[in-house]
Amino acid sequence: MAKGVVIDTMFWGARAEGVAALERELARLRRVQSAHARESVRPIARASVLNLIVYADREEHARRAARSISDLALRHPSRAIVVLADRGQEREHSERRIEMHCQLPVPDGARQVCYEQILVRASGDVDDRLASAVIPLLVPDLPVFLWWTGTPPIGSRSFGDLLRLTDRLIVDSADFARPEVTLPTIARISETAHGRFGLTDLNWTRLTPWREIATAFFDVPSWRLFLDGITGLRVGFAVDMDGRDIHPSQALLFVGWLASRLGWRPLETLAPSEAGGLLFAIARPDGARIMVRVRPRFERGLEEGDVSGIRIQATGETQHAEFVVKRQPDPRHQTATVLLDGERRWERTMPLPSPAIVELIGEELSILGSDRTYEAALGALVELA
Amino acid sequence: MQRLLPATFSVVGTARKPLSHEEYREELHKAVGQYSRTRPLNEEVWRSFAEHLHFVATPDDAGYEELRRTLDQLDFALGTHANRLFYLATPPSAYEPIVKAIGEHRLRGETGWARIVVEKPFGHDRESALALNEVVHTVFREDEVFRIDHYLGKETVQNILVMRFSNGIFEPIWNRQYVDHVQITVAETIGVEERAGYYEHAGAMRDIVQNHLLQLLALVSMEPPAAFDDKAVRDEKVKVMRALRQIAGDDLSMNAVRGQYTRGFIEGVPAPGYREEPGVAPDSRTETYVALKLWVDNWRWEGIPFYLRTGKRLPKQSTEIAIQFRVAPHQLFSREALAGLEPNALVLRIQPDEGISLRFGAKVPVQGIRIRAVNMDFDYGASFMVDAPDAYETLILDALRGDATLFTRHDEVDQQWAFVDPIIKGWASSEAAGAPALYGAGTWGPTEADDLIERDGRKWRKA
Repeated sequence: MAKGVVIDTMFWGARAEGVAALERELARLRRVQSAHARESVRPIARASVLNLIVYADREEHARRAARSISDLALRHPSRAIVVLADRGQEREHSERRIEMHCQLPVPDGARQVCYEQILVRASGDVDDRLASAVIPLLVPDLPVFLWWTGTPPIGSRSFGDLLRLTDRLIVDSADFARPEVTLPTIARISETAHGRFGLTDLNWTRLTPWREIATAFFDVPSWRLFLDGITGLRVGFAVDMDGRDIHPSQALLFVGWLASRLGWRPLETLAPSEAGGLLFAIARPDGARIMVRVRPRFERGLEEGDVSGIRIQATGETQHAEFVVKRQPDPRHQTATVLLDGERRWERTMPLPSPAIVELIGEELSILGSDRTYEAALGALVELA
Repeated sequence: MQRLLPATFSVVGTARKPLSHEEYREELHKAVGQYSRTRPLNEEVWRSFAEHLHFVATPDDAGYEELRRTLDQLDFALGTHANRLFYLATPPSAYEPIVKAIGEHRLRGETGWARIVVEKPFGHDRESALALNEVVHTVFREDEVFRIDHYLGKETVQNILVMRFSNGIFEPIWNRQYVDHVQITVAETIGVEERAGYYEHAGAMRDIVQNHLLQLLALVSMEPPAAFDDKAVRDEKVKVMRALRQIAGDDLSMNAVRGQYTRGFIEGVPAPGYREEPGVAPDSRTETYVALKLWVDNWRWEGIPFYLRTGKRLPKQSTEIAIQFRVAPHQLFSREALAGLEPNALVLRIQPDEGISLRFGAKVPVQGIRIRAVNMDFDYGASFMVDAPDAYETLILDALRGDATLFTRHDEVDQQWAFVDPIIKGWASSEAAGAPALYGAGTWGPTEADDLIERDGRKWRKA
């Protein structure tokens, strides 16, 4: 943390000297709230159903996460431990220090629930000791979720230490600088952990409506036959106008998902025709070759990395079929089309939910076990990579 | 401050070094100002209290004679009828000469009652505890001896008895039919601090297990006493202590683990290893961590393991008892639905964050069935908005009143040593077992301790 950065105590609460002092302060705040509540005859419950550790390396991210958690207080009252670590700045010169602040934020309209928010602010290189500041803050017995914003520093001690405490790791591969490297690595860590922690990805949750519609095509009995005859797959993802920020992870997850469900095996990685794109040759279970193209597209109004469209090509016994899903120019809708031998046979437009981070997190916090489908999709990606 | 002391009383301090009454009062004033629960100090109240404070130096026989004269004068002046409570806040090595001096110089009054309060450790093994007891009994009857285990003075510890025996719903399930196992944890974040001289010879076994941990075990496992008085309660505690199965010989390595902390971090701050602490031998084999698996061989607890652990330089200060219940006999719900479910547990938190929580499975509010373990929490601080009295306040007041319920009787101490001695001897003698297992400061103890419980398909709670 640069020396000049001052922690906003209005937002993060008072600073406490050590864990014991922090627990005392929280107890005091609870008493104050409880006394207020008695006056207004609204009993207050100390509710906590989970520990949520958030790791952020920028204050802006930490704040955004804290607000999301606050919005979720009614659904998932938690003890939130927001770790704000500045790893980069003046590593050599800055003093190694860990400070703590705490607060009982009162979410709007939810005065009868109090949840607890703790900021652990680390300065300097605290890789070896960060976990020792977090462990004593966890509420005993409750599941521990670790929400890592940004790319997890695989191999770093603090990530490993925190992961050992964790029942479920939440990442957002949309934030990964190089998802094609990081996704497979995380997959391997998850695999070697043998179910000790569950793994999930907010980007995977964003993909849900795309997976739903892709599945829906093949619910139709006469189109189901095409599932074994897929010959090509194209997935587009959004980039900015300059094509600089390339985030293909959502698109890759879609490919991994189909591959893991349909038993596809990788053949070779080919040179893509356009910058930022990816081209694979994949084998179906019967050995036939499928060309998979993942390509960046500029489209207005889309978040970078979001899937913009998919096209599945397949041959049946007599016919050639194309299953196409496209976002509308208004990105809140998608249109699904089925073409048989080039002729449009079916078309439907439906709303495309684009959940905010807070909704995604809320969804993930209600699941504790592993997401086997996600893990299988990741596993398939590992083979492709 | 709370007007709990009688109208007439006096406190006579004594030590080998000479102090004037004034100097003594000044020392106490400073200490009370610094440590009292009710700060800042009310100076007016203090002045009137301080009038009752006196000091007599007792470096030799003449000093003890002087002490007797002072006590007699005070009795005469205040009409306290020679009721006397002797409180020994000294190293254990001084107990014997002081008790002898009290006898020889007839410091017990002729007319009133006399009681003596001694601190732990009472002896350093069964034999020395017996010998010390004999010395004490030359001057005081057993019912006049108040052995302090300050854990028993804690509100939340007393609440164990209240919870078990004033409620109808807990006792029926407090047995082998419903309980899977019990875990008792006394975790400290502090290291050996300035007590290396004592600790090197004591270790965690004598410092914590022999007294605090076994007391907690007794309270949680004892049968209901017939009355809440010193005899009935302590009889039951002794009875359950007698039912403890001894850990010795070949059982030792399977049921007991000792550890010693090495360098690490506590709350993000570097902490030295035990052997680097001042006053500790560089090759010390003293244990700073103990984990035990033990059995209470009686009708109620047959086959139910009790797992005990204590250690210094653990990640978090925490004292708690967790009663883990058996899982439901038949599960209706799918494996996916049950992913977040843990067995029911009732946790009595002694410190910090005093309270009780009950863990049970609840449906997560989503479509379909997903079950998650949740805690129902009772928080002392938020429910009773007063500070609990300090353990010593409670205990000294009890001793003044002559209520020995919360003090340790001799046969209890004897049973405690009887359990602990063979383990300590086994460790001292077994070359095979070697030195304590090492664990980094700020971790939950050595991996051997995890193995101890995980061998049984259970795991330590995340305290």
